[in-house]
Amino acid sequence: MRSLPAYLLLVSQLVAVATVKAQDSPAPTATEERRPGIYFPQAPLPGQWRRSVGVTFTPAPPELTEELRISIPALDINVQRGLGGRLYLAGRLQTQFVQSSLSVGIRYALPLSRRFFISVGDDINGWHGFLKIKDVFNSQAVGLVNIPNVSVGFRPSPDLQYTLKAEAILGLYYGSSVGGLGVSQRSRERDGYAFTFMVEQPYYHKRHVSVGIRWAYTRYNWQFWALYSTFDKALFYPELILNFIHY
Amino acid sequence: MRTYLFGLVSLLLLAVGCRPVYEVPAPYDFGNKPGNGPFSPAIRQSMNGVYAVAGGTGQFGQQVALRWSAVNDGADSVHALSILTGVGAGFFNLEINQAADSLSLTGFWRKLVNQDAGQASFSLRRKRQGQVLPYKGPALAGDTLVLRGTFDTGPATPAQPITLTYLRPLNPKPFEIIAHRGGGRTADLLGVSENTLAILRRAARLGATGVEIDVRYTKDSVPVLYHDNRLNQRLIQKNGLSGGISDYTFEQLQSSFRLLYGEQIPTLEAALQTIVDNTDLRFVWIDSKFTGPMNRVQALQQRFIARARQRGRRLDIVIGLPGTDAVDSYRALSSKANTPILCELEPALARELGATIWAPRWTLGPQYDEVRAMQAEGRRVFVWTLDDLPFVEKFVAQANLNGILSNYAPAVAYYHYTAP
Repeated sequence: MRSLPAYLLLVSQLVAVATVKAQDSPAPTATEERRPGIYFPQAPLPGQWRRSVGVTFTPAPPELTEELRISIPALDINVQRGLGGRLYLAGRLQTQFVQSSLSVGIRYALPLSRRFFISVGDDINGWHGFLKIKDVFNSQAVGLVNIPNVSVGFRPSPDLQYTLKAEAILGLYYGSSVGGLGVSQRSRERDGYAFTFMVEQPYYHKRHVSVGIRWAYTRYNWQFWALYSTFDKALFYPELILNFIHY
Repeated sequence: MRTYLFGLVSLLLLAVGCRPVYEVPAPYDFGNKPGNGPFSPAIRQSMNGVYAVAGGTGQFGQQVALRWSAVNDGADSVHALSILTGVGAGFFNLEINQAADSLSLTGFWRKLVNQDAGQASFSLRRKRQGQVLPYKGPALAGDTLVLRGTFDTGPATPAQPITLTYLRPLNPKPFEIIAHRGGGRTADLLGVSENTLAILRRAARLGATGVEIDVRYTKDSVPVLYHDNRLNQRLIQKNGLSGGISDYTFEQLQSSFRLLYGEQIPTLEAALQTIVDNTDLRFVWIDSKFTGPMNRVQALQQRFIARARQRGRRLDIVIGLPGTDAVDSYRALSSKANTPILCELEPALARELGATIWAPRWTLGPQYDEVRAMQAEGRRVFVWTLDDLPFVEKFVAQANLNGILSNYAPAVAYYHYTAP
């Protein structure tokens, strides 16, 4: 994983293999019980879209902000589309306007039983931030991160879905500049890992909601690039997630 | 909705409880024994320089900078050798092995960006015509100094070999390496708290030539060293009390509060006395975190500038003006004579106030034109607080500054001293 192009080639090969394998898998059927969900590991029907819009809150780790407590909400938009053969595309945009993160990935989801589901996937995440504030900041940064993930879903009743998602956070590229002076780094590797626990259920007039929390232990988090963390150790970034699901 | 709220609060509490706690157990206790031992001043002087590394390059890089420093206690001094590495703001602190016959040193190494640390020991040799020979005295023509030693990670007795071979003298260009909060943050797990007398005595061992300290007033107007607005558990041992420094008298602070590593909150007077009497530091940046009159701080500044001069010390003590409150306090002083200041605000204000130093944030970039203009007017330019190691390297190499304020003084020192 020393070279970014080689790594991307490897990921694209794995995706291609998964796609071929998926063609051989039985396609999800319309009779399969399904409920609105974004995190729940069940593939949408081929051609079907799933969308959600919400907010996330990530308090800054005290290691970086010391006595200050910063938690700026980020707009969170998820889009998914069934590809067939239990494969689906997943896209996510998070933005705080001066900094944004876009993830695009592919998932392969399988029902293990009537109640248990599982998916594996791989996301490529790119983020960008810029800050120009007189006498304070003249900075910008970009990053590229690979996030392989696996999710396990449990549906104890028709209207309740629990999902536990595990992610590895593998930094691929980081570049930053201040006043035109730039630095960049490739293959930071193994930045950390994250777990997400999500509940998805109806909340009002048959609308559905995703509510949960993501525990990330990572050396880097895109929302706090401007704090220029220099710690070579995983810090804890809890992220509260609230999304309204639209089918 | 109540169920949701309950669930969210539970998840948040669970999340807060999941924060990892990092520690760095001290791998070695410094004996702090005074005296040269076999390391005469001439030998120490000859050892300062840039060395090539063999063995341990993965941990410490291809080259390192060696520099002696001292803490002076009365008539005698405790000498320490710092080895400044270019990897992870790493450094060795070594003390003279007084018991040994040979020129040997023992101590520890540490990386400030993480918890990597361990013990180390070295002995000084000389290399002549490819042969490594015992060394007893000042180097002769044709000798190359070599430090042979061992290191290891954690509390283990050092066993991995490492050899340092002299390459060239340290970069002599005047440059201030200013350690943040007296030497480093409490969060850097140095075994002593930030803004204390103990960290001031260590600052030079971290490669610093100067320090920045944060000053606030107590309720009875005693200037003391403390960074945060509140007395909080980031810096203070838990005691059930709350509030800020200005809510307590100095006596109350002394009797009721202990810093995280057990120290008392020091006065600015004690800090300046330690710097003047006990250290070789040559620069002090008093960061004005206080509100209100500046005259008490000014009086101490002037007193200790005079004291340093009496002792033949080259020491600059400047009052930093980080914001408009501090600027107003400075403007309100009845006399501004003998009151050197450092201005962190825009260049025009630095000029108007007659600041001897302009110190912008590093996040504004190198600002080549402004730096050149300020220096042409006789002002020095520092940036703060630069810890990002790739940027430290670039700023030292390209920005033509007069100094850098950093939590990672070893890294700034490494890039400065090893510059060709």
